[in-house]
Amino acid sequence: MCQNCAGFGAEGMLLLLPIAIPVLGACIILGLRNPRLATRAALLLGGLEIAALGVVIWQVHTHGELQAGRYLRADSLSSFFLMSIAFISGLVLVYASGYLRHTGEGRFSSPRWFYALVFLFLFTMVSVCLSANLGLLWIMMEGTTLASALLVGFYNTEGAVEAGWKYLIVCTVGIAFALFGTIVLYLAAVKAGMNPAAALDWVSLMNAGPRLGLDLSLLKLAFVFVIVGYGTKIGFVPMHSWLPDAHAEAPTPISALLSAVLLNCAMYAVMRYDAIVSHAAGPAFPHTLLLIFGVMSMVVAGLLILVQRNLKRLMAYSSVEHMGIIAIGLGLGGPLGLFGALLHTFNHSVAKSLLFFSAGNIRHNLGTLRIDEINSMSRTMPQTSAALLVGSVAIVGLPPFALFVSEFAILSEAFTQARYLVAALFLIVLSIVFGGFAYHLFRMLCGEPGQHPENPKLIPSEYMTMGIAGLCLLFFGARIPNLFSVLLREAMAVLR
Amino acid sequence: MGLVGIATEKVLSSFSVFLFLTILLMAVARRISTSVLLFSLQSVVITAEVLAIAFQEKLVEAYVVGVLVFMIKVVAIPRAFFLLTKKLKTVRDVKASTTPTQSVFIVALMIYLSYAAVHSYGQAIHVPVDALAAAVSLILTGAFLMVSRKKALMQMLGLLVLENGIFVAALITTFGMPLVIEIGIFFDILIGLLLMGIFTFRISDTFDHLDVSKLRRLRG
Repeated sequence: MCQNCAGFGAEGMLLLLPIAIPVLGACIILGLRNPRLATRAALLLGGLEIAALGVVIWQVHTHGELQAGRYLRADSLSSFFLMSIAFISGLVLVYASGYLRHTGEGRFSSPRWFYALVFLFLFTMVSVCLSANLGLLWIMMEGTTLASALLVGFYNTEGAVEAGWKYLIVCTVGIAFALFGTIVLYLAAVKAGMNPAAALDWVSLMNAGPRLGLDLSLLKLAFVFVIVGYGTKIGFVPMHSWLPDAHAEAPTPISALLSAVLLNCAMYAVMRYDAIVSHAAGPAFPHTLLLIFGVMSMVVAGLLILVQRNLKRLMAYSSVEHMGIIAIGLGLGGPLGLFGALLHTFNHSVAKSLLFFSAGNIRHNLGTLRIDEINSMSRTMPQTSAALLVGSVAIVGLPPFALFVSEFAILSEAFTQARYLVAALFLIVLSIVFGGFAYHLFRMLCGEPGQHPENPKLIPSEYMTMGIAGLCLLFFGARIPNLFSVLLREAMAVLR
Repeated sequence: MGLVGIATEKVLSSFSVFLFLTILLMAVARRISTSVLLFSLQSVVITAEVLAIAFQEKLVEAYVVGVLVFMIKVVAIPRAFFLLTKKLKTVRDVKASTTPTQSVFIVALMIYLSYAAVHSYGQAIHVPVDALAAAVSLILTGAFLMVSRKKALMQMLGLLVLENGIFVAALITTFGMPLVIEIGIFFDILIGLLLMGIFTFRISDTFDHLDVSKLRRLRG
C-alpha cells in the first residue's frame, strides 16, 4: 500500500493523462473535416494514449497502487485490463485507418465522427478500469453504452438502426439493475457502520471484510442485481439478446472493440464485486452464481454457433461462449481457475480481433457476410483465408495457440475441485463449437471459385494488425512472456 | 425520533399513494402526451420527497439534488418529449398491446407483489414500507411499460419510470448517493435520452414508423 499518494501530485497526473487524452482527442478530431487528416490525428493520439497507459501500467508494476484524489485509482488488476485495452485499441485504430477508406460523409457517419466516438468510447472504458468508486464505475459503464450506440448504428441501414436501438435500450435497462445493486451495496456498507463517503470505494469495501457481511441478505441481493446488470453488458445468456445484433451490424473495427474490450471491462466490474462479496461473506454464493451464468452462456451460445448463417453473428455468439468460459474460471476460483480466467480475457481479445479483422476484409471484397454466399475463399483470397483459419483454430482452443493454455488451466481447475459436471459440459461444448467452426469454415474456404473479390491483396494496415495478432496468439501459446506472467500474478493477488 | 422525523416518515408514506396513482393512470393512458404529463407529476412528488428528506436530515446536498430533479425531470425531459412528438409528427396513440383494463390489473398486481417483496426488508432496515413498495412498483411498472407499449417514445418513458423507481429506492434507504455520483447519474440519463431521441429520428426516417415491435429483421 502506498502511504503518501492520497494527494493529487505527479502520480495523480499520471492517472489523469490516459483519461484526458481521449477526451481532448475526440474534440480535436471532431474539428478536422479532412478525412485523411482525421485518420492521422487518430493514429497519433492513439499512440499517445497507449504510451500514457503504458506508463501507468509500468508505475503500478514498480511502485504499487496509484491513486489520484478520491475517485481514481489503479492497482494491478486495473493495469492488467488496461494492458489489453491498450493493445487491442492500438490494433483496432491501425486497422480502421485502412477500413474507413471507403466511408463517405454522412450525419454522424463520417470518418471524423467515427474516430471521435471511438476515442470517447476508449475514454469511458479506460475510466471504468481507473475508477476507485463503484458509483463512478457505474457512470462510466453506462457511458460505454452511450459512446458506442452511435457507432453500432454507424451505417444507418435498417439493420444498423434496429441493432443500435436494441443495444441502447437493453443495455440501459440492464445497467439500471446494476445501479440498483450498487445502491443496495452502499446501503449495506452504510448500515455496517462505514463512513458514507468511503462506502462506495472498493478498497475500503474490501478492507471492511467480514464486518460488511453482517447483513448477508442485502449483500446477496446486491450481487444478484450487479451480476444481472453488468452481465447484460458481458452478454451472459439470457441477457445476451443485444450482442449478436450489435456485433453484426457495427462496422468491423467496432465489432472488434465491443467484443475484445467492452465485454472485458464489464467482466472487470463483476470481478470487483465478486471480490468484495467473497471477502465479506465467503465465496460460495457469488461463485455459484458465476458458474451458473457461465455454464448457461457457454452451452446456449455453443449450440447457437451451429445454426448461424452470418459470419459476424457466428463470432458474436462465440464471444458469448468465451465470456461463459471466463465466468466459469472465476466461479471455480482457485489459483488455476483465476489464472485461466484472466489469461483468457486477454487471449480471447486477441483471437477475436483477428477474426473480426478477417471478416472485415471479406465484407470489403465480397460485399456479403452470409456464410452460404461465400465459397472458395482459399483460392480467391489466400491471405485473408489464412488469417481466418489461424483465428478459428485459435478460438476453438486448439494447440499451439494461446487459448488452449487458458482453457486447459480452467479445465484442470474443474478436475482438481472434482466438479465433473462442469468439466464434462465444458468439454462437450468445446467439441460442439469445434465442429461448428470446422463446418462453417469448410464451406467458406472450399468449393468451386464463383466469386471475384475486388482486391484480394491485403494493404499494410491489414496485414500488420492481423500478423501481430496471429503471432501474439502463437507466441503466448508456446510460452507466456516473463513480464506478462508477473503482471498476471500481481492481478491475481488482488482478487485472492 | 423527533417530531420532524415522524412527520417526514408520514410524508414519505402518504406520498407513496400519489406515486401509485400516477402509475395506475399511466396504465390507462392512451396518449403519449398524457403519459408524459403523468411522468412529470410523478417527478413532482419525488421532488417533494427529496425536499422533505433534505429538511429532516439538514442536508445541503439533498437540496441541490431536489433542484436538479425538478429542473431535469419535471421541466426539461417532458418539454423535450413534447418537442419530439411534434417534430416526429407521430400519431399520439401509445399503441398498447394490452387493453386498459388488463394494464390496470397488471399494475395493481405489481403493487401487491412489491408489498409482499419488501415487507421483510422494510422492517429490517427501518424505512417506511409504503415508500419502499412504491419504489419497487415503479421499477416493475417501468419495465412493464417498456415491454407492452410499442412506440419508441413510450419505451423511453418506461425507462424513465424505472429509473425514478431506483432513485426513490436510493433516496429512502440511504438518503441518496454522494452528490458527485448523483450528478453523474443525471448526466448519463440526459445523454441517454438525447441518443434515444436521435435514434427515434433514425427509426422514423428509415422505417417510416415508430412502432418498435415491427423491428424484427435481426433474428437468431
